[in-house]
Amino acid sequence: MATVNTLIYLIIYPGLLFIFLYSTFVEWYDRKLYARLQNRMGPTHTGPSGLLQPIADFFKLMAKEDITPERADKTMFAALPPFGLAIVSTAMLLLPVWNYSLEQSSLTSFNGDIIVLLYLLSLPTFIFFLAGWSSTNLFSTIGGARVLTMLFGYEVPLFLAVLSPAVLADSWRLAEIAAFYRQQPALALVNLLGFIIALICVQAKLERTPFDIPHAETEIVGGTFTEYSGKKLAVFRLMLDVEMVVAAGLIATVFLGGFPGGPILGLINFIIKTLLVVFFLSLIRATTSRIRVDQVVSFAWKYLAPLAVLQLLIVIIVKGLIS
Amino acid sequence: MKIGVFIPELIRHLFRTPATVDYPFKKLEVPKSFRGSPYLQPELCIVCRACERDCPAEAIEINTVKEEEKIFSLVIYNDRCIHCAQCVDSCPTKAMQMDEKFEISNFNRHNLKMDWEFVRAAVKPKAENKS
Amino acid sequence: MNFQIPIGPQHPALKEPIGLRITVEGEIIRDADIRLGYNHRGIEKLAEQKTWIQNVYLTERICGICSHSHTTCYVQGVEKLMELETPKRGLYIRMLISELERIHSHLLWLGVAGHEAGFDSFFMYVWRDREIVMDILETISGNRVHYAINTIGGVRRDLDELQVKRILDSLEVLRRRSQYYLNLGTTEPSFVARLARVGYLSREDALSLCAVGPTLRASGVPMDVRKDDPYAAYDEVPFEVCTAGTCDVLGRTVVRIKELFQSYNIIEYLMKNLPTGPIAVRAPRRAKPNEVVSRYEAPRGENLHYIKSNGSDKPERLKVRAPTLGNYAATIKMLKNGFIADVPLIFAAIDPCICCAERAVALIDARTGQEKIMSLKSLKELSLKVSPTTTRKREIEWPL
Repeated sequence: MATVNTLIYLIIYPGLLFIFLYSTFVEWYDRKLYARLQNRMGPTHTGPSGLLQPIADFFKLMAKEDITPERADKTMFAALPPFGLAIVSTAMLLLPVWNYSLEQSSLTSFNGDIIVLLYLLSLPTFIFFLAGWSSTNLFSTIGGARVLTMLFGYEVPLFLAVLSPAVLADSWRLAEIAAFYRQQPALALVNLLGFIIALICVQAKLERTPFDIPHAETEIVGGTFTEYSGKKLAVFRLMLDVEMVVAAGLIATVFLGGFPGGPILGLINFIIKTLLVVFFLSLIRATTSRIRVDQVVSFAWKYLAPLAVLQLLIVIIVKGLIS
Repeated sequence: MKIGVFIPELIRHLFRTPATVDYPFKKLEVPKSFRGSPYLQPELCIVCRACERDCPAEAIEINTVKEEEKIFSLVIYNDRCIHCAQCVDSCPTKAMQMDEKFEISNFNRHNLKMDWEFVRAAVKPKAENKS
Repeated sequence: MNFQIPIGPQHPALKEPIGLRITVEGEIIRDADIRLGYNHRGIEKLAEQKTWIQNVYLTERICGICSHSHTTCYVQGVEKLMELETPKRGLYIRMLISELERIHSHLLWLGVAGHEAGFDSFFMYVWRDREIVMDILETISGNRVHYAINTIGGVRRDLDELQVKRILDSLEVLRRRSQYYLNLGTTEPSFVARLARVGYLSREDALSLCAVGPTLRASGVPMDVRKDDPYAAYDEVPFEVCTAGTCDVLGRTVVRIKELFQSYNIIEYLMKNLPTGPIAVRAPRRAKPNEVVSRYEAPRGENLHYIKSNGSDKPERLKVRAPTLGNYAATIKMLKNGFIADVPLIFAAIDPCICCAERAVALIDARTGQEKIMSLKSLKELSLKVSPTTTRKREIEWPL
């Protein structure tokens, strides 16, 4: 029985099937919202209001010809997409929505899981870098170099911004952090600055405008994904969608009080809160133009990092006042 | 420099109907003066061959079918037509006209060919001028 | 560590095929090279086999966006050759279309600039408002791209009261929207960060490299054929030549938006002072032997047609110098010492129309500078001589 349970847990809910369906739904939501902000229609044809369009895109890409460049590192080139998808799917299981209890720690919710989640969210960046590097295309290589350059910019502010609520809650466990802010909602306001910084950094991590520099279409063609096609590209795109859900879930847990209310209410909470975060991400995407990679680094270190430190200072002061 | 100058405009359009049209299912109307494809009104044609001479794409061809019975054929190769409407301007009797179709693509270029076989109309431009 | 990036002939930033070979050092461009000839269509040769009237439609197809520019330039030349006096009303309608075309071209460029900078919302909104102009052009001429309004001796379609009223009404909307885009384009921080101080071209360089159009005017040189050598009835219409002193891509954007406002004023003047009378005169089928040079201020800069007639119903020679060709030399200058990320923006800022500029292919010996013309036969012989003996060398080596 336990084996069946585990299998259901891994494959159907909240495992791969749920992750696939929900992340494609979030992609549809993002596309539709982006289109509506631009006074366009967005996907309309496949399914009601184009709801099935991302799934159709996924299967269409799966059926396409898959080409591996002659000079590429073939093992690496083929292994990276499923590896990346596995990483972000694992990260999804760590979100305190499913199968956790506040009292005792389990395999998916333990003290320090916020660090593990942040670490798992950093790995895709390296996957993109390696993908660009191993495909040996000039544009991919430039894209890979840009991925790493950007990483130096946004990673530190993101960590500072996400960890400062944890400092205030005095816990390194996501479920406990969320529970802390549910009990004292007023304290969540302290983290407003951190919330904005985290949104911007997540936008950079997901490589969306204004930070879509590693695969800037008009500059370096497809960037890291230039040589990817067919199944591998489909998996990479799915991976980006899942990463968006995980990142939105992380922000919602840490800043918006998590997902209380058991399996069903918790799921509804999860959907509402992630969609809210994705709304902000889409708005940022629609409002700005792409900036240069040197501007990203200088922006991150001139503005984001000092502000993140300021947030940490505020948190420490508030913590001193409370206790 | 202002941060997020575009946001009010974006949010305002979020709840408006989109400016685009769901094209193959809904279509916009073309204006009345639209230049579609040329067609012939054979009862007016006096076979002066002005359209054949002036067509920049050489898309019009006039052949004699039976000289003594004054039967002619006019072929419009729509695959070559550039829709400039010069034939309409050149025609002295207004036998050439443009329709308003804009979805004329086809898998085979030969399907776009249009031809007419007709008896040459009597020359009566002077009578028309008087009336 | 230097390596070469090929931008084009196939690249998402380029709408038409052109080869930009860019030597980069990290992200910084050290050298650039433009390779032309991917889109040569032999239009000038074809023009020698078509009659004067057929060539109107041929020259229209030199370019999609400035289709009216090329026909007007050609038709003006032919009218001079045939010694025709074009009626006033015809000239006014011709000018109206050319100003509408300028508006649509500049709005298109503005959208493309937004897209190249990754500012897709800006792109979508600008192109939505460009539809207004496209619709006006469609109702006047019957088509959205190839207006075919010009004929030798005048224009082909007349305006009625309803159309005049519609044009004047839509000018209001266009003015308001252009003002909004001017504010937006110069205040949105991420967009300005991409445009300002990018692609610097000093006034001296712009003059010595023969830049034309908004590229030249953005370097502070008030040069405009409509003012310097007025054609049609531009000497009757009050307008200003817009310039900017910043010499960068932001300046080129501002110049184009300011020109939009000038075009709105010109159209308003034309519509309020539209003379009555015929719109065209009958043109003869032949022109006396002579030659003529016709100039025209296209949205991208000065357009120049040289026409030679020999007494028959066909031109003996038609030479087209499209505005983009004048800007290529300046582009290389602008690209140097920029970032890779700026290539699409700098290149787009001259508003390149590649098929306009692909006129003739000349073989120039790189060592001696000698030009020569090869027949097809000798070209074939040469290729047969070269290909069996030498294997194709890879031009780009994996640099790392």
